[in-house]
Amino acid sequence: MKWIDIKTGLQEFWKELKEVKFGIAGLILLFIFILIVFINPYIVPFPEGSSRWRDIGYWVDNPRSVPPIWVNWFSSLKYAPSLAVHDYSISEEQIGGMKVKEVVFSYNYSYDIPPTDIIFHCHYQGSPVIVFSMERPDNEVIELIKKPLPLSEGEKIRVAIGRASKIEAYNFGSKFDREDDRISRDMVVPTKIFFSEAKVGIFRNPIPLKGVYKVTAMIILPGEDDRVEDAHISFLGSVSGLLGTDNSRRDIWSGIAAGVKWALIIGSLTALISVSVGVIYGVTSAYLGGWQDALMQRIFEIFISVPLLPLLIVMSAVFKPNIWALILMMCIFFWVGPVKTVRSIGLQIKEETFIEASRAFGASGSRIIFKHMVPLLIPYAFAMMALYIPGAILYEATISLLGLGDATIVTWGQILHDAMTGGAVLQGMWWWVVPPGLSIALVGMTFAFIGFAMDKILHPKLRTR
Amino acid sequence: MYWKYCVGRILNGIVIYAILIFIFSTLFNATMEQTLTARIEEEVRAEMMSLDTRMTPEEVNRYIIERRADKYRLYRLEKPTWKRIIWRATNALTFNFGRATIIRSSAGETDVWTIISECIPRTILLFTTAIFINIILGLWLGLKKAQRAGGLMDKTTSIGTMIVYGMPSWWLGMIMIMFFVYTVKIFPSGGLHSMPPPVGWAYYIDLLHHMALPVLTLVVIGFWGGAFLIRNIVLGILQEDYIMAARARGFPERKVLYGHAMRTAAPPIVTMALLSLLASVGGNIIFEGIFSWPGLGNLYWIAIEQNDVPVLMGNLSITTALYIGGLVLLDLIYGFLDPRIKVGGRR
Repeated sequence: MKWIDIKTGLQEFWKELKEVKFGIAGLILLFIFILIVFINPYIVPFPEGSSRWRDIGYWVDNPRSVPPIWVNWFSSLKYAPSLAVHDYSISEEQIGGMKVKEVVFSYNYSYDIPPTDIIFHCHYQGSPVIVFSMERPDNEVIELIKKPLPLSEGEKIRVAIGRASKIEAYNFGSKFDREDDRISRDMVVPTKIFFSEAKVGIFRNPIPLKGVYKVTAMIILPGEDDRVEDAHISFLGSVSGLLGTDNSRRDIWSGIAAGVKWALIIGSLTALISVSVGVIYGVTSAYLGGWQDALMQRIFEIFISVPLLPLLIVMSAVFKPNIWALILMMCIFFWVGPVKTVRSIGLQIKEETFIEASRAFGASGSRIIFKHMVPLLIPYAFAMMALYIPGAILYEATISLLGLGDATIVTWGQILHDAMTGGAVLQGMWWWVVPPGLSIALVGMTFAFIGFAMDKILHPKLRTR
Repeated sequence: MYWKYCVGRILNGIVIYAILIFIFSTLFNATMEQTLTARIEEEVRAEMMSLDTRMTPEEVNRYIIERRADKYRLYRLEKPTWKRIIWRATNALTFNFGRATIIRSSAGETDVWTIISECIPRTILLFTTAIFINIILGLWLGLKKAQRAGGLMDKTTSIGTMIVYGMPSWWLGMIMIMFFVYTVKIFPSGGLHSMPPPVGWAYYIDLLHHMALPVLTLVVIGFWGGAFLIRNIVLGILQEDYIMAARARGFPERKVLYGHAMRTAAPPIVTMALLSLLASVGGNIIFEGIFSWPGLGNLYWIAIEQNDVPVLMGNLSITTALYIGGLVLLDLIYGFLDPRIKVGGRR
C-alpha cells in the first residue's frame, strides 16, 4: 500500500462520509472535545484543578455544595454569586500606644439567598488582633468574632468570619425572634441571619434584607513593626461556577474539563491497541489454517468466556492498578471483539487470486498477512475502534464508580463515585450527578455517530431497502 | 447429530470453566493466602485468650506455634505453591469457597456459597424481566423501522440508539432515583422489598413495586439497541428473493412480515436476547448497587467495601460459571433453531 493509495482511499471515504449527516455531527463533536483538551487552561477558573483535584487547600475559597450560577436565570429566588471585594476605606488612630486600623468593606446585597460564608484574607506581620463587625442597611450593628492572629513574619491568613460567628449570629437573632421559634445553636447558619430582616421569624422564615452592608475589620497592632497588608474580603456565593461545586468545595466544571483528556486517552488507547491486536490475530488465524487456526480459536474461546466487568473489578480490587495498568488490563480482554468477523473476512480474502499469486512469487506468510490482508481490513478496523471507545470509557467509569480508580487523576467516573458517597442523589444535588454522566454519554454518542457512519458506508445493504 | 453436538459443547464449556478457574486461582493466590493467614492468626489469638491461665510463657508459645502449624496443615499452607493453587482451584470448581470474613447470608451464615446462591435468583429475575420487556418493545419498534427503512421514524430512533450507546446504565439509574424517588415520590429508593416484608399477594406486588424502577431504567437504556439490531436483521431478510416472491404473489404486507420474515429472523433474535442477557452479566451487573438490589452485582459492591476477599473470589467464580453456562445455552438453542447444525453440517 503506497501513500497515494491511502490518499485516494481517504478522499473517497471523506466523500462518502459527507453524505452521512450524523457522521459529520460526530466529527464536529470530536473536534470540540479535542479542542477542550488543548484550551483547557483558558476555559476553566481553576487551571490546576486537574493536578490538584484532591488538594483541599486549592479549593478552600469556594463555597461548599452550591448549584451553578445559571440557576438564577430560571429561579424566581436570586442566589448570591461569589464576590471578592478588594476596595476598602481605611482610617488609623493611636489608642494607648497601640496602632488601630479600621478597614471598611462595603457589599451591595440584592439577592434572596445569602452567601454561604464571608472570608477575610490578608498578609500580616507580628501578632495583631482583628475585631470584625458588620453594619447592616437597617443600621443594626452585629459584633462578629475577635481573632488574635498567631505571631508571623509576613504570612498569609484567611479568617472565615461567617462560619466562626455562630454564637454572635444566634445572639443577634434571639434579640428579635420569639423564644419558642429559636432553633438549636448548632443549626444556625450565620449568613442567613446576617442578611435577613431583623424581626420575628428570623430563624425559621428569614426575609432577605437588601442594601449595602459594611463589614469592618478593626485591626489592633500592638507592636511597632506590626503590619497588615493586602487585605480583601470574599463573599462565598450560594451559587458558583459553570457547574456548581461539590461537598469538598471543588469546582465541578474544572473537573469535567479535566476528565475530557482522560476519557479520550483511555478510550482511544484501549480501542487502538485491542482492535489492532484483534485484527492481526484474526487474519493470522485465518491465513495459517489447520492446527494453528484450531489452537488460536481455542485460546480465543477461553478469552471470550470471561465475564469482563466482574474480572476487571476483582483485578482492580486486588492489584490496585494505576490508569496505564488498567488500560492494559482492558486491552487483554477487549481484543477478542473483532476476531470472529475478521477471521471470516480473512478466510474469504485468503482465497483471492492475488494472495495465491504473491504466494507463488514466494512471499512469506507475514508479508502476505501484513502487506496484503491487513490493509484491506483497515476501514473495518477504524469503524470497530470508534465503536469500542465508548465501551472502554464506560468500563473505566464503572471501575472508578466502585472507588477502585487511579487516585492521581480526575475522571468522570471518580466524580460520580464522590457524588455517590457524598449523598448527592439523596440531597438532590443534580449539578454534581448529571454533568459527569452526561459527558460520558456525550463522548459515547460522538464515537457511536462516527462508528455507525463508517459502518453504514461499509455495509451499504442496510442503508435502505 | 444434535445430541452429540450438545454433549460436545457442554464438555467444551466445562473445560473452559476449569481453565479459567485455574487461571483465577493463580492470579489471586497471594491475596487469598494473605486473607487466610490473617484469619489463622486471629483464630490462634482467640484460642490463646481462652487458655488456662496457669500455663508458663514457654508453654503458651509452644502452644501457639503448634496450633498455627495445625491450621497451616489444615489449609495446606505448608505445601509448595503450585499444589496450593491446584487445591484452591479444585475447591472453587466444587463450589467450596470457604467462609466469608464479614458478610453474612440472610440467615446469618458465613458460608460463601450460601451467600452467593441467595443472590443468583434475584439477579436473574431482574435482568430477565428487563430483557423480556426490551425484546417485546424492540420487536415492535424494530419491525416498524424495517418496514419504513430510511424514513423519519427509522432515522430518529437510530439516532436514539446512538445517543444511549455509551450511556452508563448506573448513571441513568442515579438520575431516575433522583427524579422518581426524591422529586416525584412514586417508587421506593431501593432494595428487594419493604421492611418488614408483607405476606401473601401483597409480597409480590411489593416486589414488583421495588423492581419497577430498575427495570424501567434498563428498558429505557436497552430497547433502542434491541430495536436497531432487530431492524438490521429483518431488513437483511426483507431483501431476500423469497420475500419478493411472496409479495409478488400478492400476500398482504402483514403476512409477509410476520409469516415469512419473522420465521427466518427468529434464531438471530433469540441469540440477540440471550447475548444481551449475557452482556448484562458481563458489563452491567454493577447497576444493581445503585438500587441496592441484593443480587450478585450488589454483592460486588459490598465485598469491595468490606474488603471481603473470599466472597469477592467466590462471586467471580459464580459469575463466570453463569456466563459460560449462558454461552453454552446460547449455542445449544442456536443449534436447535438452525437446522444446518442439527443435521451435523458445518457451522
